[in-house]
Formats: sequence, C-alpha cells, structure tokens
Amino acid sequence: MLNEVFMPKLGMTMETGTIIQWFKNPGDPVKQGDILLEVMTDKINIEVEAYHSGVLLKRYFEADAVVPVNHVIGYIGDPGDTAPDTPPDISGGEASSSNEGEAQGASSDQASAAEPENLPNAATSGEKPRATPAARKAARDRHVALQQVKGSGEHGRIHRADVESYVAAAQKQAAAAVRATPLARKIASDHGVDLAPIEGSGERGKVLRSDVERALAAAKNQPSRDKRVIKMQGMRKIIAQRMSQSAYTAPHVTITTTVDMTAAKALRAELLPVIEKQTGLRLSFTEMMLKAVAACLMKHPTLNARWENDEVVLQDDANIGLAVSVKDGLLVPVLFGTQRMGLAELVMKSKELAGKARENRLKPEDLSGGSFTVSNLGMYAVDSFTPIINQPEVAILGIGQIQEKPAVIGGELKVRPMMTLSLSFDHRVVDGAPAAAFLTDLKQVLEQPYQLLI
Amino acid sequence: MDSFDIAVIGGGPGGYVAAIRAAKLGRSVVVIEGAELGGTCLNRGCIPSKTLLHLAETAETIKKAAAYGIKTGPIELDWDAMLNRQGQVMKTLRGGIDGLLKVNRIRHIRGWGKVLPTREIEVTAESGVSKLRADKVILATGSKPFVPPIAGLEGLPYQTSDTVFQMQRIPQSMTIIGGGVIGAEFAAIFSAFGTKVTVVEAADRMVPTEDEAASQALAKALKQRGVELYTGTKVEQVGFGNGQFTLSASSDGKTFGHSAEELLVAVGRVPNLAGLEELGLRMNGRFVDVNEHLETSLANIYAIGDVVGGYQLAHVASAEGLVAAANAAGKQERMNYKVVPRCIYTHPEIASVGMTEKEARQSGAAVKVQTYALRGNGKAISMGDTDGFVKVIADEKYGEILGVTMVGPHVTEMITTASSFMHLEGTVTEWAQLIHPHPTVSESLYEAVNGWMGLGVNH
Repeated sequence: MLNEVFMPKLGMTMETGTIIQWFKNPGDPVKQGDILLEVMTDKINIEVEAYHSGVLLKRYFEADAVVPVNHVIGYIGDPGDTAPDTPPDISGGEASSSNEGEAQGASSDQASAAEPENLPNAATSGEKPRATPAARKAARDRHVALQQVKGSGEHGRIHRADVESYVAAAQKQAAAAVRATPLARKIASDHGVDLAPIEGSGERGKVLRSDVERALAAAKNQPSRDKRVIKMQGMRKIIAQRMSQSAYTAPHVTITTTVDMTAAKALRAELLPVIEKQTGLRLSFTEMMLKAVAACLMKHPTLNARWENDEVVLQDDANIGLAVSVKDGLLVPVLFGTQRMGLAELVMKSKELAGKARENRLKPEDLSGGSFTVSNLGMYAVDSFTPIINQPEVAILGIGQIQEKPAVIGGELKVRPMMTLSLSFDHRVVDGAPAAAFLTDLKQVLEQPYQLLI
Repeated sequence: MDSFDIAVIGGGPGGYVAAIRAAKLGRSVVVIEGAELGGTCLNRGCIPSKTLLHLAETAETIKKAAAYGIKTGPIELDWDAMLNRQGQVMKTLRGGIDGLLKVNRIRHIRGWGKVLPTREIEVTAESGVSKLRADKVILATGSKPFVPPIAGLEGLPYQTSDTVFQMQRIPQSMTIIGGGVIGAEFAAIFSAFGTKVTVVEAADRMVPTEDEAASQALAKALKQRGVELYTGTKVEQVGFGNGQFTLSASSDGKTFGHSAEELLVAVGRVPNLAGLEELGLRMNGRFVDVNEHLETSLANIYAIGDVVGGYQLAHVASAEGLVAAANAAGKQERMNYKVVPRCIYTHPEIASVGMTEKEARQSGAAVKVQTYALRGNGKAISMGDTDGFVKVIADEKYGEILGVTMVGPHVTEMITTASSFMHLEGTVTEWAQLIHPHPTVSESLYEAVNGWMGLGVNH
C-alpha cells in the first residue's frame, strides 16, 4: 500500500520547507519512527520521521529543494508497489490522504490549509510522549519536539513547566555559546534580552555593551518583543490587491438613506415560520435585502453591470455577491439570477453559499461573475459605512444595523426600527441621480414590501 | 617633485607612530620633522622629565635608606652628570625611532614643513627649500608651552619645560607658576634635589583635573619635602633683578610678594600651528578641529595629537596616530577615548583612568566607590612607601568599572589592570575573582574590588 510522505506544516506561518538532507535512499527499508529527512523552516530545523513502515519508494525532491507544506515529497510502500513518477499536486494529496490531522490540503487557492494538530515528531504513534494538552500547545508554540523534553509528572508525563524550562535551558545554552563581554552579559540578562541574535561589533563578533544597548533601543521601538504580523499572502494578498485596485481606480461616491423597517420586520415575522417549515432554515434580513435589491436592480440596470475590458456591460440577471466574513478574510460568493428566486430559494441558496465560504468549500465559479454586491454589517453596532466596490462591478450596498429610533410619522414622533443603507457607486459609470433613484426605490420597497409582488 | 601616499608633519609620538602604521599598511610615507625625532615627549617632556624624576626618587630613597640601615653619608648631586644621563636616554630612544623609520622604509626629511591646500608641502631644511606632494597628509605638529600674559613677564629669562633642562645648575630656589601635571612633576624633581620650590596655582588645589583625594595626597607629599604651595592664587606681576625673580601674587584679595632664583612657567600648552597657516582649517578654539575619524575640515588632511587638543598625552597622540594612519590608508576607524589612562610621575605617583569619583557622581549614575589605603598593603609597608590609596568607582547595578584613581608606588604601571578591565568590559565580579600576585601593591586593587562587593578580606 502506498503511503505519502508530506512536507510537514510546522507552524501557522510556515508555507514552504527546505529539504536539508534525506537520511534514506529510495529502496531503503523504513520503520515507523525512523528519521527520514531533515527539513528547515524559516525558524527551525526539524527531523521528519516516517509514519509508516515499508520501503522508501520515491523521493520527489532532493536537498535544497523548497517545497510547499503538505505537498507530497515521497512515498513509502511495500517492495512491490510502484509510486507515480511525478508527485500528485496538493489537491491530489488531500484526496488520497490517509493520515488524519496531517495532510489537510487547501481546497481553494484562496484559503490556507488548517493547522495540523501536532508536530509530526510529537504525533508519532507508538512512542507518543505523555504530555498535558497545555504542554503540547506550549511545545507547538515554541517549536519544541516533545521527545526531547523530560517530563516531571507521573510516568514521565510532560507538563507545560517542563517545556518552558526546556526552552529556558536551551536559550541559556545558546547565550553561553555567544561571545560577549561580562558587562554585555549582565545587561542582557538584566533586561531579559537574548544575546544570540545580537550582532557583536567587538573582536571576532564579540557582543559589547554598546551592541546590547543598540538591541535594547531597537526593541523599545517595537510594541512587543514578539512581532505580530499579518502576512500579505494567500487570501489576504488577494484582498489587499483588489481593495487597493478598486479604491485607487474607481471614483467612489457613497450615498446613504435611512429606512423604516417596520413593515419589513412584520413581513419577516410572518414569513419566518412558513419558510422555516419549508426549508428548515430561518429567513434573515439579509435575504430579504437580497430580494429587494434584486427587484430594484432590474429597474436600474446601470447599477447592475460589470466592466469588461473598456466597456461596461449591463447584466441581464441580478447576480448578487454576498460578502461573507471568514477566518482571516472575506469571500464574496455569488447568487446567480436572484431576481427569479423566491424567498425560500434565496434562503437556501444564500445560506448554502455562506456555509461553503466558511468551510472553505467554495469553487472558483462561486466567487466570480457577480453584477452587484451586498455587504451586511447590521449584526454589529454599525449604522452606515463606505463600502468599497467589488470590481469589476460598479456598485455595492452596505447594510447597517436595525435600531429603534425616533421617527416622525404623520407629524407625530414615533419609535420605529430604522436602518441605514450605504450605496457606493463608481462615478465613472453611474451618476448621482440614477444611483439616488435606485436607493430611493430600494427604500420604498423595504418600507412597503408588498411592492415586491408587483 | 617627490610624491608620497602619506606625508606626516611632525615626528613626535603621534607622527612617527602614524608613519609606521601607514607604512605597515603598505603606503609610501614621508615624515617631516625640523627638530629631533620623538617630539616633545622624547626631547622636552615625558622622557627627560621621567629620567630626572627617577633620579629624584633615587635621591629620596637614599635619604630614607639611613633609617633602614643603609648609611651613605651626605649625598652629592652632579647636575651635569644627570643631564648627561638624560641625554643618553634620549639619544637611545631617538636612535630607536630612527631605526624604526628606516626598517619601515619611511623617508625622514629633516626640515620644517609648510602644508598647502593642494597637499603640496614646502620643506625648509638647512640645505634649502624643496617641495613634495602627498595624497594624504597627517598633521602632527604638537604643542609648545603656553606663556600667559602676566605683567612684566615678557622678555625675562624665565624657564619653560622646553628650557629647564638647559639650566646650568640646580637652583637654590625656584618658583613654579602652575600646579598642574607639569608643575607638580618639576616641583617633585627639584625639591628632591634640594631646591626651595614654591608652586603658585590659580585653582583651589594641585592637579585640579584629578581626584581631590589624589590631589591632597600629592600636596601633602610635596609639603613634606618643603615645597610651598599657594593654591587659589593668581600671579599679578613678575620682575627680575640681581639674579632674582620677584613675583607678586594675590589670594582672596590679599597680595604678597615672593622671590626665587628661577621662575618656571608651566601653565599649559598651546598647539603648534606653524606650517598650517595657509590651510585655513576649521578650528576648535585654539586647536585644529577634527571629527572622530580625525579628519580635519579639509578632505584628505588629518590631524592628531596635541595640535587637536583633548588629553594632550603622548599615548593619546599615538592612539590617534594609529587611527588617522588607518583612515588615510583607506580604512574606517574611529577614535575611542573611553579608556585613557592618566599618569603623574611624582612621588607618590598618581594614576587614573575613566571617571573620577566626582565625575561619576555628577553623571547621575548610581555609583559605589571603594577606597583601600596602602598602609594595609604588605608590599607597600615593606618598601616603606605607604602614602597612597586605590579607589575603584563602579556602577552599582552591573558593577561596571567607571573609573579607578590610585596614588602610591608603582601605580602608573598598575593602572593598566584597571584599563584592561574597562576595555574588555569586565565588571567588579570578574575582577574580584582574578588572582593577584602576592606581595604586590597591585593586591590593593584586589582588596578594593572585593571590598566593593562587601567581600573584602584584609580590611
């Protein structure tokens, strides 16, 4: 039976690993737990053990190769097995993965793979070290192989304190190996500064007092010792590119209006049990908004459009993108032909897409082809905002919270559920008046939802 | 016209050292020196004065020896023989420098250089005027005694440190204007030779830049040898008649007169700018202004030693010479003045490095000071030389050695231990663990640092 050898993912930020050396040659017998190869990340070098016994059949990458995490780098199998000549791509790796918690492949190119539960050499079955969950987490966070930590608990169970004292001892050992003057050492230890990364300006790199002071001054300018960064990669990178592209090319105008949601609320209350009975799902204001927006887009075709090359193509269908917040990002799956959908269908389709988005199961075709986007921040304490157009579309609607507010109805002060809509449009394509007309229509439809029936 | 990579103007302890380093770095070098090699240090300063100070100390020792069981009868001082001995010492050392220049293939031109902004140098020698050219020039023209504008002084046959060794005899009496390092050393020399010495110092104590306790110890030692000290005293007027210098001085508004056979003016030194006039260098007060690379305001022209001011010590000039030579040879070195030892060769000697106690306290750092008196030191007791102390000034938090001041025998040699700890960033902790040889005066430092840590054994 063929078993893949993966490039392990050893930390949240690890995207690729560099193979330093293999310890087994193709054809070598391999026992579970044998050290197969050594891998370098930007932080550590780590030995990768075999998860399976058999024969190392294939090595796809040699020393110095940089391989994405979770990529198949080799195969272990029975002597008679034949491994493919080329490594399967990442999705192939996922399909044939038999190793739970390890080769969690990315299902979309915009999503990053899930963090494996354990460091590979901590997860080796058979000789899995006894450790508390806190110790495992600490080991993961500090990139410590649990095997190297001596447990102080019952039957050698490793506690978090054991991991921490192991790390402290390792740091101390590293500091002792650094050449530094006694004064530099005292100052560094007093300030809890690690001597190892400090570049010494003394004879043969000896760390002097001034070097430590420079490091202290540099550390002072940083908010914390462990720099917390958002890496501009994967989905984040795409969002960054697209948002700045849109913000810097389309002259955005945002107009707002406030809607009395009394009638819409009443309608939702009436339809909720009906739709729930039919679909098992609860009707939300978002879906009612989608319905109303689709109807209005049909009446205002200039807002339902896409830039294609140098033209703006008006779209026949209301293909409405719904902004969905996902872990570390934002996805906009598209509901096609929204104007033809009844509310029950809308509820099912939109909830299905939102669920897929959160579970990283969207397909590329779910994410393109929109003609308009709706972004709902109404679940937060947000009244209005200035949404950025999801290009190549030309307009986007932002939905604020529904809040009881004083409203003047027929000359009388009443408390009504009020909601603010924010419409951003690309002024190259749409002028103020048609955009205002669309927003006015939308307000009327929401305040008198029977219009949807017309 | 001869052309060189580097021309050094001045052959003193700054200039000749710079020349040798530049030559070792593969540059063609010329040294232009109008007088003897070795500069003030070798010919009119450190070396001749140390030679005589040693003789003075020998005389002192002989005087003291009777009490220890060595009786010599009255001693006789032969000034000419002393100067002869002094001359031999200087000749030996000059020969040494000359040899070093030859070995390093450095051209030595005996003449006075005048530097032009084009880095052409006009050399006036006995044989006539010649010209040469250099890519880089290191100015090491040194300094000369400063003669203050005291009423009546001009034109009188007074002595300076340049002329004092040319005196015909040991004078009966001598007045020294200036109680700094130079004045103190001459007071020590001549008082040992039986001259009635009077020192007039404007500041409120001798060697005012040094630790107050050191200055008191020195004053006490000089007074014991009959030196009259007038501190906080300003010389108002000087006259000369009948082989006697007369001097009127004032202190706290009171004026008094004094007379002596010789008058030595030792109030400091001014830079020697001869030959630099046409460069139009940016100045820092009286001195040539340089940056930490010892570059002057003109590209490719460096300056070192007394002409740039600062410590005005031979070993600082040499250190500056090494940095300037390296930079002139294309390196990028910086002058670091953090650890500069300062020595006064009186009896007792005074040596210090880093901050004085007062400077350290004024710096705002939390400092702890430990003093150890030599009267508890075995070697000092056996030598009968227990006047003095060692004082270690260290920062309280890390035990960083901020400064050391010492008074006593051998302290000018011992100061290098303190300098080493500072240079290598050792702290009292390491010093307290260092085994010092017994019996030595240097053990007193061991006691002081252990005392600093509250772990002193012998006090």
